[in-house]
Amino acid sequence: MESNTVQDKQFRQKLPVPSTENEKVTHKLKTQKTLKIIAFMAPIMIFAILFVYYPFIKTMINSLCAVNDKGEILRFVGLENFKYVFGRSDFEKALKNSLLITLINVPCTLILTISLARLATKKRRLSPVYETMFTLPMSISMSAACMIFKSMFSPTLGFINAFFGLDLGWFESRDTALYTCLILTIWMGIGFDFLLFQSAFRAIPQQVTEAADLDGAGFFTRLFKIEVPLISSTIFYVLCTNTVLAMMTSGPMIIITQGGPSRSTTTLMYMMFASGYGSSNYSLAAVVSLVAFVLTFGFTVLSLIFERKKVHYQ
Amino acid sequence: MKISTKRRVTDALVSIVAIAIGLIIIFPVVYCILGAFKTPAEFMSPKLLPNSFGYLENFKNALHQAPMFRYMLNSLIMALSGTIIRLVFAVCAAYGLTHFEFKAKNFCFLLILGTMMMPGDTLLVTNYQTVSQLGLLNTYMGMIIVSLVSASQMFMLRQKFLAIPKDLRHAAMIDGCGDIRYILTILIPICKPVLTTLFVQSFITLWNAYLWPLIVTASSPDMRTIMVGITKLNSWEDTNYELVLAGVTISLIPSFILFVIMRRNMTKGGTDGALVG
Repeated sequence: MESNTVQDKQFRQKLPVPSTENEKVTHKLKTQKTLKIIAFMAPIMIFAILFVYYPFIKTMINSLCAVNDKGEILRFVGLENFKYVFGRSDFEKALKNSLLITLINVPCTLILTISLARLATKKRRLSPVYETMFTLPMSISMSAACMIFKSMFSPTLGFINAFFGLDLGWFESRDTALYTCLILTIWMGIGFDFLLFQSAFRAIPQQVTEAADLDGAGFFTRLFKIEVPLISSTIFYVLCTNTVLAMMTSGPMIIITQGGPSRSTTTLMYMMFASGYGSSNYSLAAVVSLVAFVLTFGFTVLSLIFERKKVHYQ
Repeated sequence: MKISTKRRVTDALVSIVAIAIGLIIIFPVVYCILGAFKTPAEFMSPKLLPNSFGYLENFKNALHQAPMFRYMLNSLIMALSGTIIRLVFAVCAAYGLTHFEFKAKNFCFLLILGTMMMPGDTLLVTNYQTVSQLGLLNTYMGMIIVSLVSASQMFMLRQKFLAIPKDLRHAAMIDGCGDIRYILTILIPICKPVLTTLFVQSFITLWNAYLWPLIVTASSPDMRTIMVGITKLNSWEDTNYELVLAGVTISLIPSFILFVIMRRNMTKGGTDGALVG
């Protein structure tokens, strides 16, 4: 209260302005306003330029130049780097793996989370219990999940082999490692997508579904003819974000498999990590990350468009 | 009467199915917590339950093998300071974009939103070079510096600020209230629910971050975060899984607390605390 009155006085004292100095004062106010705007906008802009736009441009330049292991640009080589990378067998393998992960991960996650959300749409007495269970994977970090799965799927000591009487190598065998990584990434994605679909289903007006019931529509007719079309923006949003995320998969490979055994789990992002950070081959890393960027850019833009369209529940 | 009984039976059945699926989904977490209490001998047998929950050697060993509390502290410092700076930046930018008129406004807005188009992972290697040139490797500053810009948070706050009548600011200005004081005493209290949500979200993301802390703190084990620390508890040759699971269980405690806060926030919704006056 007291500071208020003090400020009031100061404000009133400032008020009477001699008309001859009017121009000077407006000029002063203007610079003051500009300074204020700069002060408010500068921090976020500086960091956006320094850590998002600058590295992006640098990556593009690096991909067109020969770069030494200290990151210094030696000379311009045009598309030589691209030719070199596209001709490598490990790049082809990484690209294939990333696409395979995306092709399996995205539909599986969609079907799984839509089913779970449909199951949990109606509010029941036990809803909080199973909703908590479905969303729990959200809180687990990538590295914690990796360590748990590594132990669970251990060929000799793991629970999975012992319980099901299997003799699979899981993360340690060339044939199963990629699919085991897929189980892990799908599990990690369940929680958030479930929440999105659940609120989308709950936002469907009751009159619509009741009308369908009166017309004698069965469960599946109702689901596929009415509910799924009504939540289509959410579906497309999840589809696009998951495609981007799946193309960028690298966590389990960095933590558990190191891209192996015999390159069976090398993905684009793992290759970028290993070549750029691991062996300081910056032009190779730049080319790989540009390929990943180009492949996902369309989906990123689409996901931003669908995000505005989808039902906001809060 | 008949219909309501039928409905009740279906509800019960659906609930049972849902809980059964839920148990499968949370199984890895349960497995981890149970495994942390097993003796090495018990771990060799395929039994799920440990004999007793009194066996705490794994936790002791995990804490002995790596400074877990130091890692937790590092994580806390990183997540907390990163979240606060990020929110301050977002609030400032959102305020600048909603309360001032200037020529480059649209350009600034698009420049910030454009950062959402760049997947962070593809910039990893170049950002590592930048941070190492700035001499910020193995520092807290280096750990948070790449995650200070959050376009989605700025956007959420901008939408919220736009919904607040401009008259409120004019009235405050006439009463002699400056911009900073207006933000601190009027805008932030009004937007508290949104800010809480953003705070929790951002804290969880930073707390769970793995890749960036890993490469920034690679040469200084003391600066590791908890999420990096737990992956260093074993190697392929040494299959001491019960120790690893004990470490993971320790790291999960704060995550669960955050999870409960987040869920409570979600059920409450961000709609309360609307404009008063």
